[in-house]
Amino acid sequence: MTVLVISGLLGIAVGGLLCLHADSLAAGFITQTVGALALGAAGLSALVSGETWGASFTSELTPHAGIDGLTGVFLLTLALVACPALVFASSYVAKTRRGRLTGVLTAAFLLSLIGVLCARDALSFLFLWELMTLVPAAIILAGPATESARRTVFTYVAITHLGGAGTWIALLLLAHEGAIGNSTALSEGSSVQAVIAVAAIIGFGTKAGLMPMHVWLPRAHPIAPAPISALMSGVMVAVAAYGLVRVLVDWIGTAPSWIGATVLILGGLSALGGITYALFQNDLKRLLAYSTVEHLGIVALGLGACLLLRQHGADAWAAFALGAALLHTVNHSVFKALLFLGAGTFERATGGLELDRLGGLLRRMPWSGGAFLIGCLAIAGMPLLNGFTSEWLTLQALLHVPAYAGVWDGALGAVALAALAGTMALAVLCFVKVIGLVLLGPTRRTGVADAVEPPPAMRGALVALAGACFVLGTIPGLLFPLLVGLAPWPLTGDVPSRPGLDLPGTGTLPTVGLLVVVGGLGALLWIARGSRRAAPSPSWACGQRVESPLLWSSAGFTKPLRLVLEAVLRPEREIETTTLGGVVQHVSYEGRVPHLIDVHLYRPVSAGALVAASWARRLQSGRLGTYVGYLIALVVVLLVAVRVGAIG
Amino acid sequence: MTSQSASVAVTQIAGGLALSPLLIGVTQQAKARLQGRRGAGPLQPYRELRRLWGKSGVDVEGTTFVYRLAPVIVAAAMGAAILLVPIATGAPRLGVGQDALVLAGLLALSRLAVCIAAWDTSNGFALQGASRDLTLSVFVEAALVLSLAVAALVAGTTDLSGVIAGTAGGHLWTTPALALGGVAFALVIVAETGRQPVDNPDTHLELTMIYEGPVLEYAGRDQAYLQWALAARHWVVLVLAAQVFLPHPVGTWWQLALLPVSLGLLCIALAVTETVLAKMRILLVPRLIGVGAAVALLGIVTWLVETA
Repeated sequence: MTVLVISGLLGIAVGGLLCLHADSLAAGFITQTVGALALGAAGLSALVSGETWGASFTSELTPHAGIDGLTGVFLLTLALVACPALVFASSYVAKTRRGRLTGVLTAAFLLSLIGVLCARDALSFLFLWELMTLVPAAIILAGPATESARRTVFTYVAITHLGGAGTWIALLLLAHEGAIGNSTALSEGSSVQAVIAVAAIIGFGTKAGLMPMHVWLPRAHPIAPAPISALMSGVMVAVAAYGLVRVLVDWIGTAPSWIGATVLILGGLSALGGITYALFQNDLKRLLAYSTVEHLGIVALGLGACLLLRQHGADAWAAFALGAALLHTVNHSVFKALLFLGAGTFERATGGLELDRLGGLLRRMPWSGGAFLIGCLAIAGMPLLNGFTSEWLTLQALLHVPAYAGVWDGALGAVALAALAGTMALAVLCFVKVIGLVLLGPTRRTGVADAVEPPPAMRGALVALAGACFVLGTIPGLLFPLLVGLAPWPLTGDVPSRPGLDLPGTGTLPTVGLLVVVGGLGALLWIARGSRRAAPSPSWACGQRVESPLLWSSAGFTKPLRLVLEAVLRPEREIETTTLGGVVQHVSYEGRVPHLIDVHLYRPVSAGALVAASWARRLQSGRLGTYVGYLIALVVVLLVAVRVGAIG
Repeated sequence: MTSQSASVAVTQIAGGLALSPLLIGVTQQAKARLQGRRGAGPLQPYRELRRLWGKSGVDVEGTTFVYRLAPVIVAAAMGAAILLVPIATGAPRLGVGQDALVLAGLLALSRLAVCIAAWDTSNGFALQGASRDLTLSVFVEAALVLSLAVAALVAGTTDLSGVIAGTAGGHLWTTPALALGGVAFALVIVAETGRQPVDNPDTHLELTMIYEGPVLEYAGRDQAYLQWALAARHWVVLVLAAQVFLPHPVGTWWQLALLPVSLGLLCIALAVTETVLAKMRILLVPRLIGVGAAVALLGIVTWLVETA
């Protein structure tokens, strides 16, 4: 293990240094890949063997590092995402000064992510946490320096630092109470426990993009280069989930049920809200970023179910819920990395990612398009792929909340169950739209018609990730018992380790059986279908040819839902008609779905802050005399206060 | 495998594969009689399948393998669903488990396959149907999962065979939660089978189609697969309704014996609702099914209060 960890860290560091030189840029990325692979192997061995490496958690403030099972899961996730992303980057990132800088910063980003996962004391955790926040900002700023990129980075840094205060408060209080790595230090229902829980939910929730702290995420993730977007959406949010698991499930001990309920409510809100806003996006990467909010919401639903079930003494199902949340984190990382890398490929090949102006890429790029199709099917929660397995587990966990958790928490669990079911259906709608607009139909722009397959490194990364979606969807049952075993409470009974998922009280999810039955039936039907075909005919549209003005757009496909949810979403539309002598010359239409949390929560707050700042500015005249006056006034006020006995 | 479970399995597979078009036929025939027509007889769906089987398929210009594969995937997913939904308590697991929530996944798979095929043809009518179908499915899926959750909570398992056992006998009369779940499931049936007031299976006007819209371009055996899959969808939801939400006896043999009666009654009930209700405005349907989901939620709360 020591060899793996040290060679992994060295690989990434040396790879980063190699990126400094244009000629060794690709080699640098490949060396980083090897390093990430070694760390992934270390994580896997920690997870499988259950052994720990290095120090264990301590409330002291001296640097400690170590790896245990939970860290192992996330190191494995990191490797699953980083290896393909780095191979992809080796041919995606240009050999310019900017590209070299990106290479070096990628290594720094990876090291800080690994550092957060391996930190075993509050101080190094917080230091690396901040580094993990700042390095992506630097990568974005190293890219094309536009006004909007700078504004986005400002929003990102501002919001994650405001939220990050929660992480600081939670970690430092935990260290102060001696509760890091010790779940018996805090008593149930104490006010310190409540403060730590709220601070952790705000701090880690901001990083995980839970609503309503998510506003930075759909802005910042899309503008980074594709491999970095994959790392941010695949790994960085997973690291936030890691923080939530550590603090809420382990360190604060038995949490009162309002903490679980809060996590459940935030999770449901993020899942439904994330996918709903994803639906109405017109830019592929932004849509994917909103869907990250959705999936971290699903992870939070699993965690909330875990906390509630644990509180009500259903330890076995609490552990299953934890396993569901962790498995969904892994699955989400894989398909989201695939989709972001695919988006990067399409952007490179066609020059833009506006959904209404792509189309037909499955024919132009069969390999990348096919891999992207599998990613979309996985993220839409289709059986036989990995997304469904963990969503099924989360549904089961939520279904068991009413069974164990009493009336109020049970009712909340039932509502969350409905929310998750609706979320899964919305995800189908969303990714049917993505598949249709990006991969199928006629090409909608001249640049798209000339798209060609990317170089083998990029293509290979996409295909490997698609394969991972398939493998994780076929053998979730080999990973799941290991994840369940990470629950910090003792468990009675074993989860059988077989490819499918077999939990007590369910009808089982035999993934291999489903694959055989659906695949076998499909093959039989395909043969029975025969090859007798009439001549291909054009699509039928009441006798009209389907021409590009008649093609369906993103807005058109989501219109029924927009109308149904009008009262909630408050979409805006403007139609301008220019007439000349009673004849309509030109009609312009603009419709958008405003982001309500931006409009009603953040805009008033930031406007209020600006007003307060302008008031405060009046006090700052810059003249020495004024400041002396302030000091004298303060002294006088204090003296008066002492005199009347208000202080002292 | 005992002789009992073997015979249940055989009935389940043979019934699901061969008899499911009969459900559509009976419904259509009952509807015709209610409307004062003679009707084509309950075997009409079989004649249509035979006719389609003999015809050649048509590929739309510019489509990919997605379009060609979709009917096969839809039919295979529904085939798996038939294996998954047990028709009585003693039904053995046929390789796909018997989980209620996996069923929701298979239904979603068949819906998705049809809808991406609609994008592949770029046909405006097909896409209209697809976007409506998927919009409604948001509410249908919530209602489906919640109503199945009611039954699963009452029975203490999401294993459908266990659910049938756990809701058998007098449970229905003593558990108000199940009745509320049944109300929600009734709406799910209407939506999943594409019947009025949600959809109109007899329509020939593209603008009003939901389910028929996305499959507009298919012909020949592809269309036969899709029609059979629709029939299988009837089978799956009606069997669940009969064996979970309608009164059903305890023993396996009794359940098997009474199943045809319950299915026949459900088909007639569908025919009656089709006759007395007009198609709803499409944007009002989510409200109706949303109410269904709320009723199922109320069912869960009732169960919680009852057991607390």
